[in-house]
Order: sequence, then C-alpha cells, then structure tokens
Amino acid sequence: MTVDLAEIARYMRMGRSVPEGALAERVEKLRDEALAAIRPARVWRRFPVEGGAIGSGGLRIEISGTLAKHLGDCRAAYLVCGTIGAAFDAFQRRVSVSSGADALIAQATGAALIEKFMDGVEDEIREELAPGESLLQRYSPGYGDFPLEAQRALLGLVDAPHAVGVSLTGSLLMVPSKSVSAIIGIRRVAPENEPETQQ
Amino acid sequence: MPVKLLLDGAMGTQLQNLGLRPGETPELWNLTRPKDVRAVHEAYFAAGADAVYANTFGANAAKYHGDAPLEDVVAAGIGIAREAAKAAPCESRRLVALDIGPTGRLLKPSGDFEFDAAYDAFAAQVRAGAGADFIAIETMGDLYELKAAVLAARENSSLPVLATVALGEDGKLLTGASVECVAALLEGLRVDALGLNCGFGPDRMLEYVKRLAAATSLPIAVKPNAGLPQVVDGRTVFTVGPEAFASDVAALVEAGASLVGGCCGTTPAHIAAVKKAIPADASTVRPMPAERTVVTSGSRAVEIPENDTVIIGERINPTGKKKLREALSSGDVAYVLREAVSQADAGAHILDVNTGVPGIDEPAVLDATIQAVQSVTDLPLQIDTSDPKALERALRHYNGKALVNSVNGKEESLSAVLPLVAKYGGAVVALTLDESGIPPTADGRLAIAKKIVSRGAEYGLKPRDFVVDVLCLAVSAEAESANTILEALGRVKAELGCRTCLGVSNISFGLPARPLLNAAFYTMALARGLSAGIVNPLAADMMTAYRAFRALTARDLACGEWIDANKDWSPATAAVAVRASAQSRESASGESPLSDAIRHGLKADAAAAARSALAGGAKPLDVIGGGIVPALETVGKGFEAGRVFLPQLLMAAEAAGAAFDVVRAALPAQEKGSVKGPVVIATVKGDIHDIGKNICRALLENYGFKVIDLGRDVPPETVVAAARREKARLVGLSALMTTTVGAMAETVRLVHEELPGCKVTVGGAVLTADYAAKIGADNYSKDAMGLVRYAESLFAT
Repeated sequence: MTVDLAEIARYMRMGRSVPEGALAERVEKLRDEALAAIRPARVWRRFPVEGGAIGSGGLRIEISGTLAKHLGDCRAAYLVCGTIGAAFDAFQRRVSVSSGADALIAQATGAALIEKFMDGVEDEIREELAPGESLLQRYSPGYGDFPLEAQRALLGLVDAPHAVGVSLTGSLLMVPSKSVSAIIGIRRVAPENEPETQQ
Repeated sequence: MPVKLLLDGAMGTQLQNLGLRPGETPELWNLTRPKDVRAVHEAYFAAGADAVYANTFGANAAKYHGDAPLEDVVAAGIGIAREAAKAAPCESRRLVALDIGPTGRLLKPSGDFEFDAAYDAFAAQVRAGAGADFIAIETMGDLYELKAAVLAARENSSLPVLATVALGEDGKLLTGASVECVAALLEGLRVDALGLNCGFGPDRMLEYVKRLAAATSLPIAVKPNAGLPQVVDGRTVFTVGPEAFASDVAALVEAGASLVGGCCGTTPAHIAAVKKAIPADASTVRPMPAERTVVTSGSRAVEIPENDTVIIGERINPTGKKKLREALSSGDVAYVLREAVSQADAGAHILDVNTGVPGIDEPAVLDATIQAVQSVTDLPLQIDTSDPKALERALRHYNGKALVNSVNGKEESLSAVLPLVAKYGGAVVALTLDESGIPPTADGRLAIAKKIVSRGAEYGLKPRDFVVDVLCLAVSAEAESANTILEALGRVKAELGCRTCLGVSNISFGLPARPLLNAAFYTMALARGLSAGIVNPLAADMMTAYRAFRALTARDLACGEWIDANKDWSPATAAVAVRASAQSRESASGESPLSDAIRHGLKADAAAAARSALAGGAKPLDVIGGGIVPALETVGKGFEAGRVFLPQLLMAAEAAGAAFDVVRAALPAQEKGSVKGPVVIATVKGDIHDIGKNICRALLENYGFKVIDLGRDVPPETVVAAARREKARLVGLSALMTTTVGAMAETVRLVHEELPGCKVTVGGAVLTADYAAKIGADNYSKDAMGLVRYAESLFAT
C-alpha cells in the first residue's frame, strides 16, 4: 500500500496543489518512513439489523436518526474497524518533536493511508457479498446525530481491542489515532438489475 | 524433553459452541451457567490436561462491566475449576490457574490509560483469584500492560506466574515488541515461565519458540490456536484438526516448549491428541542460551554486547547545561524531547535520563520525563539518579527493562538499589567507588566491582546484570588515570564476566581541545573492550571514533555503516555544496540567498546563508532585520492570502529559525535577551491529539517567541502552575474533540481566576470564535499564523 503526494497534499489542505521542491522531498521522505512504521489490521463482522438495532445484550447499537435514514431498509450490515497501528502514532510523535512541518506532513500521510486502507477493506468485504447485495457508504459514530457513545458497542461487537488493537480512550477517541470504525449497510436488490456499488 | 505441564485448550470458543453470543460477558456464566463452564473444564481434564485456566480471562476491573461483583465472578470461576479438578482422573496434576487477559484499553502514550490504573485493575483480579494454584497471564499484546499485570500478580499473591503473549502476523506484539524484548522483560520481572498463546497456529509458532529458547533460560509455554481464523458463512472457524495440531505442537516441544496447550478453536480432542503424540518420557535436555546483557524499551531490545560496543547518549543530564536545567524546572517537555530525538537520530543506542536539578521534586520530574521521552523514542533508557525514591518510581513506570545508573560499593547504595533492580528487572551500572572513595589502582576498583557483583547474587542478580563503570578521572589531575582505566576495563571483562561502561569525556577535564582528546581516549577504551561508551552522540569526533573502531575491527560488516556515514565526505564538503546551491538560486530569482532559502523552506541552506552573510561582514541585527524577518513576513502574508499553504509556511519558518539561531550565536550577550514571551501552551486534559498544538509551537518559536510546551492531556492546575511560575502573559490551549472542550472551558476559567491579567487563546478543530467567546477565552485563532499575529500584538504592548 502507498499513497501519492497529491493525496497527502489534500489532507494538508493544499487543495489541488501538488507539493514541489523541498516540500515534495520532505513529504516523500516522511511517507517512506511512515510506510515502514504502519501495521495495518482490520476486522469486520456481519450482523442482522433486528428490532431497530444491531447487536444484543450489553453491546447494542440503536438505529435511529440520521443512521436510520442512511441505512433505509437494510436488513443486515457490516461492522468494520481498521487501523494502521500504534507504531504510526509513535512515528508521528517522534517527527513532531523537532518540526511542525514534519508533524503536519506525518498527520496528513497517516490520514491518507488509513482512508486508502479502508477503501481496500471495503473491496475485500465486497468479495463475500451474496449475489444481489451491495454496500452502502461507511457510516461512523460522530456522523450526523449517530452518537460517539456508539463506539463502545461497535468496537465491542467486532472485538476490536483483541482483533486489531483498537480501543477507546475515556473521551471516546479511538486509539491508535489513525483508525476507522463504521457501519456499512448491505443493500439487497433484485439480481437481474444489480447496480454498481456506491463509491 | 518431557512436557512439564499439559495445559487445557480454548474456553471462549467452547462457550460459543454452547450458546455464548457476541457481546455477552463470558465470565458471567460462572454465576448463571456454572454447569456448562464446569463441563468444559471436565472435558479437558478427561483429555489428559494437568491444568485448566479458570473462566476469568476478561474479569479485570477495566474490562468487566457485569452486574455481579467482580470478586464473586472471579471466585466462582476458580471454584468451578476446582470442583472439576477434584473430579478429574487421578493421573492428572489437577491444577487450576487464575486466567488474566488484557484490559482492552491502550496504555499511554498511544492511549490514555494509566499504567497504575491497569495495575489496579489486575491487582483486584489477582486478589479475588487467591484460590488458584498459579496465575496465567495471557494474550498480552502490549509489553507495558504485560508489565502491569506481572507486577500486580507478584505484589498481590505468592503464586507462580506464567505469562504468554499474542504475536501478530509479523511476529511482533501489537505495540511492536519482538519475542526477545518480551523474554528480557519477563526474565527481569522473575516470572516462572513465559511464552506464546493465540495469534496463530502451532506451525507458525515454531520460529518464535526457537527464538525464545535462544533468549531465555526460563520454561517456555505455548498455547497456539487451531490454525488461523477463517470466516465461513459469517462464523469464525478454526480448521486445524487434533492430529495435525498435535504433530505441530510436538515440534514446538522439540524446540524447547515444556508447558503446552491450546488457544482459540482448540477442543478437548486437540488436547487428547497432544497427550498421545508427545511421549511423557522424552528426555532431551534443552540447551541453555548464552548469558547476555539485554535492556529494552516497550518495543526494542538492545544488547550490551560482549564483543561489540554500544553508545549511551549522555545529553539529558542537567549538570553544566543551563538550558536543560531551565527546561526541567519549567516543565518544558519539548526541549527535553528534542534532546532525545536528536541523539537517537545521531546513532545512540540507549539514552541516559538524569533530572537531578536542585530544588525540584525529582521523583515526579524523573518519572514524567522518562514517560515523555519513551513517547518519542523506542530506544531503551538509562535511568540516572542517586535518589532511591525517584529510581523506584521511574523503574516501576518505565516501559521495558531499563538500565539503572547506578549502584556503588557503599553499603547505603547496595542496600537501596540492588533490591529495586531485582524486583523490577534491569541491568545496573556498578560504579567502582565505596566509603573510602575511588581506589587509585585497577586492583582496587576491581575489588569493589567484585563486592558489588557478589552482593547482587544475594538478590538473585547475575554478573550479566551488571555493567561495571571503572570511573573516568581527568588525566590532568591524575596522570595515571587513563592507564588505570584501560587496565581495569580488560580485567573486569576477563575476571568478572561483566560488561563495562564509561563516561568517556571526563578524561579531558581541565585541558584544551577536549573533543580531540576525548575521541582518542574513546578509541583506546574501545580497543580494550569497552561495552558501552556514555558519550555525546552529536559530537562528530566521537561518532567518527566509534564508527572507525567498528569498521577497523570487522564489527561493521563490509564497512557498511562507515560508508553510509561518510559517503559524502571531502575536506570541505558541506560549505562548498551549500554555497553552490544557494548561488545557483540567487542568479535564477534575483533574491538574496538568505531570503531565497527561507522562502523555499531550506533549513540547512538558510543557516549557511546566514553564516556566509556574517562572514561577509554583515552585522547580526542587519541580517535579522534586513534578511530573515522580511523573508518570513513575505511567506506569512502569502499564507494569509491563500497563496502559500501551511506546510510551506512551517518549512519557511523553520528555515528562518535555523538562520536566526546562527545569527543569535554571533550576537553579543547583552543583545541576546530579545526573545518574546514566554507563551505557555498545552493540549487540554483528556485530549491526546496534539498535532495542532505542535504546529503552533513550531511557528511561535520560529517567530522568536519563547514557548513552554506542557504537552498533551494537561490538567488545568498544571497549566496554571506553569503560567504562574513563568509569569506568562499568554496561555494557548488546544482541543480536538467535542468531548474535551469541557476541559478547555475549565482551564480558561481557572487561569482567569488564579492569574488575572494572563490572556488565554484557544484553537482546535471543533472550536469556533463564538464558542471560544462563550467559554471566556480572550482570543480564538483559526490557525497557527493567527496565533502568531495575536501573540505579536499582545507582546508589542
């Protein structure tokens, strides 16, 4: 896995500008170091959507508000969690000590890498879909009115701490910092007019 | 080699087969479905297991959130296993283990969970499980959490401890530690057996069991999964059957494992097959590994070698360093961290950390400094203090197995330091001095070293746990000093079997051209077998001596490191190259080389251009006022107008900062005090994302402000204390999350209440000017440049 300079530049709020000269050299160097530091890991599980919720017992995600609107009439969904690992955070802390520019570049590189990784994870998940099924876009706690508190159930239901080493801080941040968790609804359509999955 | 203990197989996957649902708490079955839990234990005993792990894996206070009290759940789990053991066939050893798994929380620095909180969570579990025969800590993925669990077991029970870790796909822990790192830590903490569980199947474990066998003399335990998990029809299944599993486990036993069982996906049939496959009378004796001196961080093991040498970076020591003293006193973490990272980048293998400044709370400052340094480097640390209280606190919270600096031959030191090293693990520097001072001869120093090592044996320490420092006295005061040291170095190695270290640069004290003398003496000491030089890795002469020694003595294979470090070498390399590149751009753009270098964000070029301007006769203040400031101003305005992006602004500011440092060094002392500030900055309590704050710090510093950076997750009281101490007129706070802006509001309130007249500026992803006003902040900056502008306006008045 890698990302190109233009993708990293977007996460540095450079719009469509592509780094040149000294900046391009710095970004390339830090990107290569970041690639050596990451340990991507992912886990997903398929759950039925039952009684307006996913999961059971102590780990239950209520489906309401904007999440309900997003999922529509999905009868099943994937819970997914992926990360590029704690060693990336250590790398980012190290380079941030002596340079604000390096801190910013590392941060943007990590953001670009986890996005790219999660796109790949979605591709993997698509492999196991039944005929006539397609994936909705990822929907994460914090989007719309889907509460951050849902992280507890979401990560618990995929056993994220054990499976991929992702856990929550007291203020509900995911750690390692470059991690993504989401619900991905499974849409069923008649097999004869199977649409392309949304991107 | 006979199997000492046949352990049981999986509990979790067995309970799932009996109906445990995702999200359900397995340990609650100890109260609600005890017969089912007991049936699993009984099946393992019937299959031939000598020991079963009670159903207590997740019953630690951090992870368990059931309705029933944790103590009841753990005690019931042990009780059920005990009943099953009583009913077991009598050829079984019928042992019951308290099973301890991870908390599911990520410890600091990557997470926010405190080491002490993890310890407390495990300690409660250990106390509740007192009825077990031994404690099995398993599936650990973080060395630091593992240390908390082992300490909790050791300090709250006298039961034997078996500790195993789960490796990831790449054969390392989640936090990056190798099996050698794990072995060094666990040996230091005196567990009774160590090894691997979960992660993958027995075939993939073989390589790592072999490596463990080479790294530890302790018994090795393995509990592999029944292969890698696979998802079939939405269910996780493990596909390696009992016979194949047993034959792979036999290979692990051959490689040195002596306690064996199974993890996820294994069943009583797997355990029965292992029992059948491994003859109980096999009697191969496992060869013991060589004695090695290893220290570790949370993810890296470093050997202090017998036939090679490593560098201990000496720069985090306030003796004779005014700036570091000030930084430690004011809580300016960032300064200390830069010292750590620059030494690591320069090639140090271990970093010394000493925070002995008169008048500070050394136990607190050393502890905090060690944790901060460990957050930015994976090098093992040498904890350097003469205060036993500070040493114990730092050793306890240290992530890994530390090098302790130091113990000496005085009774007071021996009785204070050796028990701590024995308890927490570690290697310790042994200074060859005692109540009568430093003996003048090698004989005398050797005698003290012998005494220290033999006293260490009383605490279970071995010669390999000591790194003897024969003490470097200035040759200007003691003519025979160098000769004595060189003799003693060789004899410590030959007669005691200990590694050696030496604070090399003391040799030149009181003489001119110290770097030259230091490098020459360092080379001589290396030739006599010095295992670890305590040196300044930023001193080019010392690094050259180190690399030359290794290249010349066949330690640097194919001279790779030497070539790498010197490939661009020529008598006047740096100056010529920089001048050429700066000149080529000058002709292209028509700008001065200095402003061109700053605009393009070229740090080295900007410093070189400033140097050459000064050499050309320019006055220092003119270089600042006529070169650096206007160039930075141009870039800053470009940023505000949207023509220049943040990374370019930051690089330009850093280049300006580098040029500014050059000019400042040339300024007469009375003109150096023109630094603005100080500004105290912090990321608020509960928030561990500090990227924005770091960017602000960098920009402020490069605009000439003194910044006291308190780091992240900083309580309001700490901010107030620092601002008061520094008489700061401006405090900057950053918060990323909606969940932590409450802490920001509280900090603003407290600063205003305690320090009238001190302004507070805030920023962060979720903040707005409106919200900033609502929580009473004096200013809101949407970006780092905005903060610089605000600070400039504030300090201009």
